[in-house]
Amino acid sequence: MSTASFAAELENLAVIRRFAEETAQSLQANQAAIDDMLQAVDEAVTNIIVHGYAGRPGTIEAQVKRAGDSLIVRLRDQAPRFDPTTVRPPDLTLPLEKRRPGGLGVHLIRHFVDQVHYHTAPQGGNELTLVKKAF
Amino acid sequence: MNVSASQAQGRVPVTILSIQGDLDGSNYQDLIAKAQELYQAGTRRLILDMTDLRFMSSSGIVALHSIALLMRGDQPPDPAQGWAAFHAVARDSAELQQHVKLLNPQPRVDRALEVAGLKTFFEIHTDLATAVASF
Repeated sequence: MSTASFAAELENLAVIRRFAEETAQSLQANQAAIDDMLQAVDEAVTNIIVHGYAGRPGTIEAQVKRAGDSLIVRLRDQAPRFDPTTVRPPDLTLPLEKRRPGGLGVHLIRHFVDQVHYHTAPQGGNELTLVKKAF
Repeated sequence: MNVSASQAQGRVPVTILSIQGDLDGSNYQDLIAKAQELYQAGTRRLILDMTDLRFMSSSGIVALHSIALLMRGDQPPDPAQGWAAFHAVARDSAELQQHVKLLNPQPRVDRALEVAGLKTFFEIHTDLATAVASF
């Protein structure tokens, strides 16, 4: 397991992805699962920065670990409460011009990982857990 | 992310914009700005060479759409609208293919295109000569 904190800035997206990737590789997760997890992590972190902190300074704590046959990434922030699991998925049976705006990043998160869990953190803020079968 | 432009001549002049590195929320607007420069310099047919693009998030997907609109002389929508940007993609899908085509997206990027539903809206090639000749 590895945990690190990052300033919530878009310039840190690549740094956070690299942290998640290198930790997952050291845990010997399979690369296809890592690739999917990175897409989800990036979307989640981008949402935290752009919509959560919305230009205000803050930090994002990322924890990467293995639990059984799953790779788990936990993201914690101190932005205003936002539960992405309550965002309704887009109806993909509708042609794009009829779909409601918003929710693209959350849709991608749901697609790339097996489980998404949200909690309000005990110390305040948000805690998002992404789970992907990877071993 | 680095971008570099080159020219090719098929039935019409074609600009090839090679994108190297990662395309995410920190730099997608730079790519749009580069495409804008090319348009102002006379480019109307563009191949986005994704051979060396390692990662693309939903921000990159919105950039692709914005570039397609730019190349036909339209103002791209506000990228912050997310799905609303894709509504315009769906409306304009046939014409988009006349202006911007994708070359050689790597598996990770190809998957992001697929999940976002964009593979039906952009013609994708794996060979540069074929891509140039397709305009």
